[in-house]
Amino acid sequence: MATVDLLFAALFNAAVLFLVTAGLQLIFGVQRIVNLTAGSLYALGAYFGASVFEWFSAQGGSPALLLPVLILSGLLAGQVGFVIERVLRTVYGRDEAFQLLMTFAFVLMFQDVLRYVWGAQPRLLGDLPSVYGTLAVGGFTFPVYNLLVMLSALVVAGLLYWLIERTSLGHVVRATAENGRMAEALGANTRRINTLVFVLGSMLGTVGGALVIPTTAASLEMPIALIVEAFAVVVIGGLGSIRGAFLGAIIVGVLRALSLTYFPELEVMSIYLVVIVVLVVRPYGLFGKAEA
Amino acid sequence: MLSVEGLSVDIAGTSILRDITLDVNEGEIVCLVGRNGAGKTTLLRAIMGQLAARAGAVKWRGAALTGLPPHLVARRGIGFSPEESEVFASLSVAQNIAFGTWTRPAPAARAQARVAFAYEVFPKLTTYMARGGAELSGGERKMVSIARALALDPELLLLDEPFEGLSPAIIPTIAAGIASIRASGKAILMAESNVQHIPDYVSRICVIERGEIIFRGSLAEARADPLVRQVASGLA
Repeated sequence: MATVDLLFAALFNAAVLFLVTAGLQLIFGVQRIVNLTAGSLYALGAYFGASVFEWFSAQGGSPALLLPVLILSGLLAGQVGFVIERVLRTVYGRDEAFQLLMTFAFVLMFQDVLRYVWGAQPRLLGDLPSVYGTLAVGGFTFPVYNLLVMLSALVVAGLLYWLIERTSLGHVVRATAENGRMAEALGANTRRINTLVFVLGSMLGTVGGALVIPTTAASLEMPIALIVEAFAVVVIGGLGSIRGAFLGAIIVGVLRALSLTYFPELEVMSIYLVVIVVLVVRPYGLFGKAEA
Repeated sequence: MLSVEGLSVDIAGTSILRDITLDVNEGEIVCLVGRNGAGKTTLLRAIMGQLAARAGAVKWRGAALTGLPPHLVARRGIGFSPEESEVFASLSVAQNIAFGTWTRPAPAARAQARVAFAYEVFPKLTTYMARGGAELSGGERKMVSIARALALDPELLLLDEPFEGLSPAIIPTIAAGIASIRASGKAILMAESNVQHIPDYVSRICVIERGEIIFRGSLAEARADPLVRQVASGLA
């Protein structure tokens, strides 16, 4: 029984982690920028989602619409990616250290903005997932809300694959990631593609944050806590790989659930022990590409 | 249709092109001849908007191209096949060639006709359309690169060293393709360091040396000019 519960908790954690790291990977894959703001976007999505749903409830909105309202609020909050990308544009093509410093500056600024708008106290939505009830399978019961979040992550994974691999826009995005100068000489508006990719990546982060808020409190610790796990996912899966984000999120999710159950004090250590092993044995991750 | 007027380009503070003036008219094939490092590629990249001009202007049908980003230059109707081919390794041959129909869209029938013409110029490409860009030989990459530029439906094609580094066996295929493009009425501005590769039907030749045009004339005149024979290989 405990094993199934543990696995279920791990997969829920992995679903949310996948959404955020898929955004991180997408942005790195195309723009070669390690976007430290992923954690801040996740927290923004959580706070904003909580506020939007509280407002929605105050207007008499049905609690049954929790999931679509949170997804929409996440998509809306992700539009902040437009502003971040406009600023980051000034450091495209510069040394990676500049880009890293710039995104770190955003992390610190976001921290103040979150504190200013929502205060220092954690924000909780209450026991809303229960409105969707539970599902009983073979003697086990699962919260339907958590199952829907996992399903949403699977749908996002499928949509991302379809977009990148099967559409002409995806082909242009891949070509831009590979050789932006040539893509531009063939008529691709690479500036617009960069913006599109960054906003899409940001939306994945904010939607991830919005979806998690019914199960945990939004707090100022969220960005750092998330980024610690997200980077483990990125290293294990391989920088820039969406498939890597998928598998890496499951590995980190399971590791986290196991350590929280058996050695709660060693949660971060157990994850980063695996990270170190991957860095030593396969430095470019499970699905990353070795530098030419 | 294309006018380059007194164009000067600096790269990292060094003057690479100085006061270049050049015209390409409808249906013409103009060949830029010069040694490696003479400024041929710089000129083509400056026309494409990839390099900024220090002075002078590039005009397309009387309107300024100077200062436009490369994607808008391409959408005006200028195709570019670079010296290194730069085929997208992550895309298949078919996806590489269809690229221009996504970035410069047209009604479906017109877009299909553009792609069909690209394959008509290099029919061999139809035998490996599904192959990845990373799995091609040098000659295959060159064909894909030119076909890809053609599918953009350009009125002017910029070809940078289309024969450079190719095996002698593939050169006639590329030459035949360029002849087909010429027969379709498209204009070509071609950079070449070896005069032996220049087709006889070329309209005009401009010899570029150390960033300046030092000779303009026909292929026969170029072959007879002692100064040109000094700077361009294959004339002697």
